[in-house]
Amino acid sequence: MTPLILPLGDQAMLIRFGDRLTDEANLAAIDFSRRADAAALQGVVEVVPNLVSVLLRYEPATISFERLAGEVRLLVSGEPTGQQRGREAVVRVEFDGEDLHEVVGLLHLSVDAFISAHNGLPLRVLATGFAPGFVYCGMHQDSLVVPRRRSVRRRVSAGTVLFAAGQTAITSTAIPTGWHVIGRTGFRNFDPSRLPPSDLVAGDVVRFEAT
Amino acid sequence: MVTIRVLRAGPLATLQDAGRPGVLHYGLSASGPMDRGAFHRAGVWLGGAGSTGIEFTSAGISFAVEDGSLSAAFDGGAFSLNIDGVAKYWPTRAVLKPGSKVDITPGADGNYGYVRFDREIEVTEVLGSRATSSIAGLGGWEGRALRTGDAIPFGAAIARRPSQHPRPTEVTAGPIRVIWGLHADRFDADTRQAFISRSFRVSPQLDRMGVRLGDEAGVFAHTRVLSLVSDAVVPGDIQILGDGTPIVLMRDHQPTGGYPRIATVISADLDRFAQLRPGTEVHFEPLTLAHAQEARP
Repeated sequence: MTPLILPLGDQAMLIRFGDRLTDEANLAAIDFSRRADAAALQGVVEVVPNLVSVLLRYEPATISFERLAGEVRLLVSGEPTGQQRGREAVVRVEFDGEDLHEVVGLLHLSVDAFISAHNGLPLRVLATGFAPGFVYCGMHQDSLVVPRRRSVRRRVSAGTVLFAAGQTAITSTAIPTGWHVIGRTGFRNFDPSRLPPSDLVAGDVVRFEAT
Repeated sequence: MVTIRVLRAGPLATLQDAGRPGVLHYGLSASGPMDRGAFHRAGVWLGGAGSTGIEFTSAGISFAVEDGSLSAAFDGGAFSLNIDGVAKYWPTRAVLKPGSKVDITPGADGNYGYVRFDREIEVTEVLGSRATSSIAGLGGWEGRALRTGDAIPFGAAIARRPSQHPRPTEVTAGPIRVIWGLHADRFDADTRQAFISRSFRVSPQLDRMGVRLGDEAGVFAHTRVLSLVSDAVVPGDIQILGDGTPIVLMRDHQPTGGYPRIATVISADLDRFAQLRPGTEVHFEPLTLAHAQEARP
């Protein structure tokens, strides 16, 4: 997959693998971020995987945009890394969110059938980074896709399990959200007193279990 | 132990060091001084400063030295400074004795000022930095802005070289320089042209996360861009919100953004932009990437 290589400001480059969130674009972004981490390119000071892109922050005094773009093309065209699987985590969820009944109604499922479909397959951490410790997990099968809510909740607490757009997300801090609240978990993916502060990173595998 | 007590804190006075780069994928922007140049100059004045200083906003700050002596340097914007009842120049450095009272009040220019010391401020590092992240509520002083009554402890004195007069701030007027943004191609040619030919105005809605701009010319009044898959944000990104409001994302920026970004303020001009007061007219001028990387403040 040939990505688009774009400047983002004068000290960063964005490598974009698609305009829409697809499995293919997400896997390509995760795979490239792993290659870029492993390559430890001189002058690159930060590698940030996003849903369908990767940000490289670089020092222009050490490497020019053009030279870095050349290195990026080499990395992209290199041998596949063999899709190393990330670590696996089990996240236990209490499915009692205030939007759960609306969600199961939209999907024409019972609560039990929804929970069993939701937890049936392991999901991939598609990306982190929206807020401290926040993880997007997906993609759910097509029969489990609902749109976002029309209105935004101004604040949901840490440990909220969110559902929309074929994904399940977990908050680790209080955030505003337009996603459906389907449950709560004791799992937290952010502890600033530790390095690294997060256990789950993009590409890891999450299995959800009902408590 | 050397301590200062906050007697009056304007809104959003925070502890800052050079920042916390490298944690964007954990969902945290780097923070650090809004005017990095001024923060650096305050350190040059001292010839060696603790990594962490106080950033205050246009209302200023007052504090008293409770125990011990401190050398301090003041820079950024143009504030009124009064030490023990005596008016001082700005920027400057000074020796503060036990009981000294420092009163910084609004001055002629700028949104952010800095005071740095010849000692390290004794707060716990969070993820390798003492900078306050106002968006995540961590680092600095209990993750929050300073308040009246806070007593800030200092460690041992920093080894100093002879202090210097830093190169004075050059007052640069003129447009804020940008390079075209991630989604510039999502805006039509007329909108892109209007973005660089019309003016905007710094609105009163500004903080460490972002500066909203007034768009009196209606450059983005009819902009409708379909929702985008979110990408990482960098300081200086100019994002156009759903209602057409342009917002320049600053040091405590949201880590990712899903609104279209028409341009990014170049690194050399972000300090100067941060100091523009509400009501100031802003023009944007596009540069090539190569020119942006060679640009000086």
